[in-house]
Amino acid sequence: MTFHEIADTLYTTPISTWIRETAGIIPTTQSVHILAIAVVVGSALVTDLRLAGVLAIDETPRTVVRRYLPWMWAALAVLLATGAIMAVGEPNRVLTNPLFWTKMVLVVLAFCLTLLFRYPFLHPQFQVQHPRWAGLAKPVAWVSLLVWIGVIFCGRWIAYAI
Amino acid sequence: MTWSSFLQGLYDSAVGSGIRESGVLFPWIESIHVLMATTVVGSIAIVDLRLIGYASHRRGARQLILDLLPYTWAAFALAVTTGFLLFTSNALGYAANTQFLCKMIFLVLAGINMAIFHLTAYRQIGQWDDALPPPLGARIAGATSLILWIVIVFFGRWIGFTMQ
Repeated sequence: MTFHEIADTLYTTPISTWIRETAGIIPTTQSVHILAIAVVVGSALVTDLRLAGVLAIDETPRTVVRRYLPWMWAALAVLLATGAIMAVGEPNRVLTNPLFWTKMVLVVLAFCLTLLFRYPFLHPQFQVQHPRWAGLAKPVAWVSLLVWIGVIFCGRWIAYAI
Repeated sequence: MTWSSFLQGLYDSAVGSGIRESGVLFPWIESIHVLMATTVVGSIAIVDLRLIGYASHRRGARQLILDLLPYTWAAFALAVTTGFLLFTSNALGYAANTQFLCKMIFLVLAGINMAIFHLTAYRQIGQWDDALPPPLGARIAGATSLILWIVIVFFGRWIGFTMQ
């Protein structure tokens, strides 16, 4: 089954039709999606800038990560939920769109970077001076920010690449 | 010069025409606008939540504001610049769009709210810097700011769905 066939089938379902044809659902869902992006951007900005040694260096990395990681996960859940509503409502806009899939790959990458390079900070015994980490922490922080920026650009460009 | 002729002038300008007629300039500028807008809202939300009484990555409200405000202002400046560029590409259309006009009004309201906070509660921040919850003036300023910016995002997104 190709993505086109999946999208076409999804398009004819009652739920897809309801999302698409009920006034205000798509714009509102997109607005909530954008607010959740703001939470991710704010959390990622402070966390990554702290780990890059640019911001709030008087606070420990662990304090900063602990404060923002839960917000990031909550926002990611909202992004996936609102994203699913948009994908179900307008399947031909996303499922057959290379930019959407690029965005999904970048989201998974950002998700993995966050898991691998942020979760260790939550452990009380973790030392960022550990040799394996010391060299990686800063570059990965900047890469992480760039990946999130890439996600946002892909997200906006979906509309222009249908 | 009338308001309409000013708008027409923007529309006809090299910048406005260039953005409108290029297939890619609008999406690129718009993407930067969205990135900047989410940075503004995200960074302001951290401060607003602290003003309401939710702890941030540091206890002191004053240092938190100093931590984040440079990024908020830089992102806001870029958001306004990209917003203006987008506006020129269809000045007459946007100026006639209710959601766009409401967004502008609410931006002004957010600015007024911020000014009031800086002229009142912020003046005594030395006294309530570590306090959780903060004084009522700060809490109202934070809650108002958060609500206004959420509404601004909604109006912003709805412009695209209501253009004639």
